[in-house]
Amino acid sequence: MTEVTAAPQLTRKDFVSDQEVRWCPGCGDYAILAQMQRIMPELGIPKEKIVFVSGIGCSSRFPYYMDTYGIHSIHGRAPTLATGLKVANPDLAVWVITGDGDGLSIGGNHMLHVLRRNVDLNIVLFNNRIYGLTKGQYSPTSKPGHVTKSSPMGSVEQSFNPISVAIGAEATFVARSADRNTKHLADILTKAAAHKGTSFVEIYQNCNIYNDGEWLHVTEADVKDDNTLILEDGEPMIFGKDRDRGIRLNGLYPEVVQLGNGTTEKDLLVHDEQAEGPELAYLLSRLGPPEFPVPLGVFRSIERPTYEAQLADQGRRAREERGDGDLATLFHATDTWIVPEDSGWIPPEQRRDVSTEVSPSTPDYTPDIHHEVEQSELQALMEKRIATLDLPEPACVKAETTLAEAIELMQDRNLGCLLVTDDSDRIEGIFAQGDIFSQVARREMDMDTTTVGSLMTSDPTTLSRSAPIGHVLHMMAGHGFRHIPIVNGDGKPVALASFKSILGFLGDLLK
Amino acid sequence: MAETPAEATDDEGIEVVESIAVRFAGDSGDGSQIIGNEFANTSAILGNDISTLPDYPAEIRAPAGTLPGVSAFQVNLSSEEIYTPGDEPQVLVAMNPAALKANIDDLPPGGVLIANTDNFTRNNLRKAGYDQDPLGDGSLSSYRVAKIPLTTLHKEALKHLDGLSNRQIDIMKNMFCLGLVYWIFDRPIEPTIRMIEKKFAANPLVVEGNTTTMKAGYNFGETTEQFQYRYRVTKAPVEPGTYRTVNGAQAAALGLVTAATKAGLTLFYGSYPITPASSLLEELASLKNFDVRTFQAEDEIAAMGSTIGAAFGGALAATGTSGPGIALKSEAINLALVLELPMVICNFQRGGPSTGLPTKAEQSDLLQCMYGRNGESPMILVAAQSPADCFDTAIEAARLAIETMSPVFFMSDGYLVFSSEPWRIPDPDSIPEIPVTPWTNPNDFQPYSRNPDTLARPWALPGTPGLEHRVGGLAKQDGTGNVSYDPNDHQHMVGTLQEKVDRVADRIPEQSVDGPEWGDLLVVGWGSTYGAIRSAVQRSQQKGQKVAFAHVRYLNPFPRNLGDILLKYDKVLVPELNGGQLAHLLDAKYPLKVISYPKIQGQPFRISEITAKIDELLDS
Ligand code: SF4
Repeated sequence: MTEVTAAPQLTRKDFVSDQEVRWCPGCGDYAILAQMQRIMPELGIPKEKIVFVSGIGCSSRFPYYMDTYGIHSIHGRAPTLATGLKVANPDLAVWVITGDGDGLSIGGNHMLHVLRRNVDLNIVLFNNRIYGLTKGQYSPTSKPGHVTKSSPMGSVEQSFNPISVAIGAEATFVARSADRNTKHLADILTKAAAHKGTSFVEIYQNCNIYNDGEWLHVTEADVKDDNTLILEDGEPMIFGKDRDRGIRLNGLYPEVVQLGNGTTEKDLLVHDEQAEGPELAYLLSRLGPPEFPVPLGVFRSIERPTYEAQLADQGRRAREERGDGDLATLFHATDTWIVPEDSGWIPPEQRRDVSTEVSPSTPDYTPDIHHEVEQSELQALMEKRIATLDLPEPACVKAETTLAEAIELMQDRNLGCLLVTDDSDRIEGIFAQGDIFSQVARREMDMDTTTVGSLMTSDPTTLSRSAPIGHVLHMMAGHGFRHIPIVNGDGKPVALASFKSILGFLGDLLK
Repeated sequence: MAETPAEATDDEGIEVVESIAVRFAGDSGDGSQIIGNEFANTSAILGNDISTLPDYPAEIRAPAGTLPGVSAFQVNLSSEEIYTPGDEPQVLVAMNPAALKANIDDLPPGGVLIANTDNFTRNNLRKAGYDQDPLGDGSLSSYRVAKIPLTTLHKEALKHLDGLSNRQIDIMKNMFCLGLVYWIFDRPIEPTIRMIEKKFAANPLVVEGNTTTMKAGYNFGETTEQFQYRYRVTKAPVEPGTYRTVNGAQAAALGLVTAATKAGLTLFYGSYPITPASSLLEELASLKNFDVRTFQAEDEIAAMGSTIGAAFGGALAATGTSGPGIALKSEAINLALVLELPMVICNFQRGGPSTGLPTKAEQSDLLQCMYGRNGESPMILVAAQSPADCFDTAIEAARLAIETMSPVFFMSDGYLVFSSEPWRIPDPDSIPEIPVTPWTNPNDFQPYSRNPDTLARPWALPGTPGLEHRVGGLAKQDGTGNVSYDPNDHQHMVGTLQEKVDRVADRIPEQSVDGPEWGDLLVVGWGSTYGAIRSAVQRSQQKGQKVAFAHVRYLNPFPRNLGDILLKYDKVLVPELNGGQLAHLLDAKYPLKVISYPKIQGQPFRISEITAKIDELLDS
């Protein structure tokens, strides 16, 4: 347990959070919450040092109602979070609230290992033998044959005995109480809090909605004394309303005996919480109806170094042996070598840049639009698709079209370029004003027999309407194209992006 | 580079080469890893740039002499800066027929093969699937073969030493081999002698045995007529400073410890053993004098849960695993996300799906880490590009985690974990502090109030009076953190988590490009493919191709200018050791279609593969 520091006297109310409690009316959880809030001030631990960690389930809502630190984590994993928390800050008092489904089914593995490691936590398992939050399926502690919504013909599963499981997992503190045995419960919770190491407390909790009355034999005033055996360290095991019966060992096996007629307390088993071996605790964990009373109390409470204390101890030893960690020493802890100042190394920024050297054919023009255009506008350039531009429909001709016809068409319609399509109307070339100047002017050719096909640029670069406008700009800037045909999925021209149209777009953008 | 032919021969008949790659191959028990590492370290001390790659068999104890049992270790030495262990070795040391069979295809014609003839027994040949002895049937005539009875010579050298058991003698035979290799490569044996003296200080006999046989190996090279060829790799012009070698696991461990120190926090590392992440757990477990608290959990989920608990408690919390572990952790990772606690989740990726290729590298968990959780679950992802870079990346992941109060994925892979390279040791004082300001003021405290810039919530540590509060996995209201199923609260919180990640882009460096600012081709990579891509792109640039290279360290969010860069090139090629996952992310985010170049063989890219792809794209 955490060291007690001088703190202002707290009361039960200090531990009540502002959250509305949302369990079903009559649920056993209320009684457990009340006892927890009652014992908290008595522990003398400032509330900022207390953390409640839970998983998922009805019981796991518990942390919300405690005005301490708390984590409502995920199903079954509370012991893992609690372990990390306690290792990170061993100064905290950490409680794990779980249930029979959360702690023994989905989180069963973690439960075994946290107990074995003996992390200094207090684990409180609310056992109601049912899945409440998911509305009534059988749980790993439901009795064989239990009829539930998911076992309409009765469960065919052997159930877990949580106390036996905890003892098997090498737990150092194992105890059991019941929601309605309030004084006993408060006493057990206090003892669990005082134990150094993992404390495991099973609480019989009534789910009055899905499994009502499961623990009546243990909690009802008129029968409970006959049905329970209150474990007291160093005391003979006597029970019954009239305290006239006891547990005696017959060979390896326990039996119930009637006191009197020559049988005295001396013949009875005497409880020993601190027995080194788990045998007695395990034997007690197996007792229960119909033949035996249900033991309540501390089954086992032994001392073993806690996980986090041992870890801290190793840290101390490591610091003693190797000194406080020092980064420079650590970095140099293996063979090192020194590269002298005159190694011939040239910092990257002073190196001849091969990359710029090898691109002489890239036009010098780098449209450094970043500096001119605001981020959002630049974004528009990248995000706006060509489809959003108002582009003219392209003028298309066939490869057989003569030069004369082509020139006439271009003059008539004031076009800078023609697209050449094949028989399926797919683009096969582009024929631009530039082609007329550069090709035609140099040669003697018959305007009426020379075809566009022989002069066009074949397989021109095209873009789809979904390409970003920035892409058009890049191609024009990078390759000197003045026109870029926009084609559909079949390769048929649908529009023509011209330098002019892009300029228009840019102009609008910059306005 | 690796293929560079000999440039000159000096007076001692030693070829001076710019770069050479040596592969040691044998049974797991032959110690190829040890001599490979020693050879690399010695060469690094001499001033070569080095890069190494071990190739472990998947089964730890596959039967000796069989193909599945072969393990190998490749070392690339260079007098230039190098970024990869080299495509193919020029020298192959084969300790048995299986090692020969498994590796000979990688040795180019004219390469040097050193074979331990003692192990070429009929039985071993049969186990390796050879009908006849390849050393005698002329099938290796295109190589320069040195047949050496290593085991016999080694035993001979130790004959006079009494007191060593047969098993000890057997284990030491790799040192004879190392001595011989040192002679061939004109390396001094002293650094290794120092290492042996240190490592076996408690056992002088073992020191003497190892050093004796290593010297014998060296002298054997000198006296035998077998070797007409020796090599010398001159010093690489590297940045002045003090260096050591690190592998990715060591670098990540150093990075996490440094981050914790710089943040003034205890480092908590919760992990479950899994290949190839276990070595990080081991590295950190040995640093207890730094107040490093390692927790070997009972399973992957517990490892993640404990990490969350430690983060809640105020430690710099971290966990490490591989893809299958991430799958198991994913529910808890989501809890970490909504609790908004800082932690680093290291994913050392391996080949998948399922158990896949545990000892091999892949980059196939990118989308898993991006998206592999229930609900809207945006996560910050950063990736390391080289073994030494795991140091910087781990610190960066921790810094982002603390700054945003979020879990952050630190992506690495098996290749980076196992390979090593020289690391220029930084001055710890030059590494910036990581500011941590836990909340302390109880007035107006709200667990989910937010920093207006980063949107980070307060780190309110248990133990602080007046800040008692509850957090949980249920949907909640911003500010108060109260459980809330209100539709608007939920939309707001989900949006806030996304916005928090998006805003990281404002605070990370812009994407840089290596090469022309505009051009025909941009090659985009991430993670461990950095070395191969960078080397390939440099070669292309030297050939005059207009190719640039952008290596993306920040995978989520992407740097602000990434989309801008992509559109400046005619084509964008994305080589990845997966089916095209970064390509998918880029296609989804930016208005373009990149060309994916997937490789899913559990092997890193060869430089030549990427060069060929670049040529193919530029020729078409
Ligand atoms: S379902 Fe059962 S256990 Fe759950 S709150 Fe209601 S009564 Fe309690």
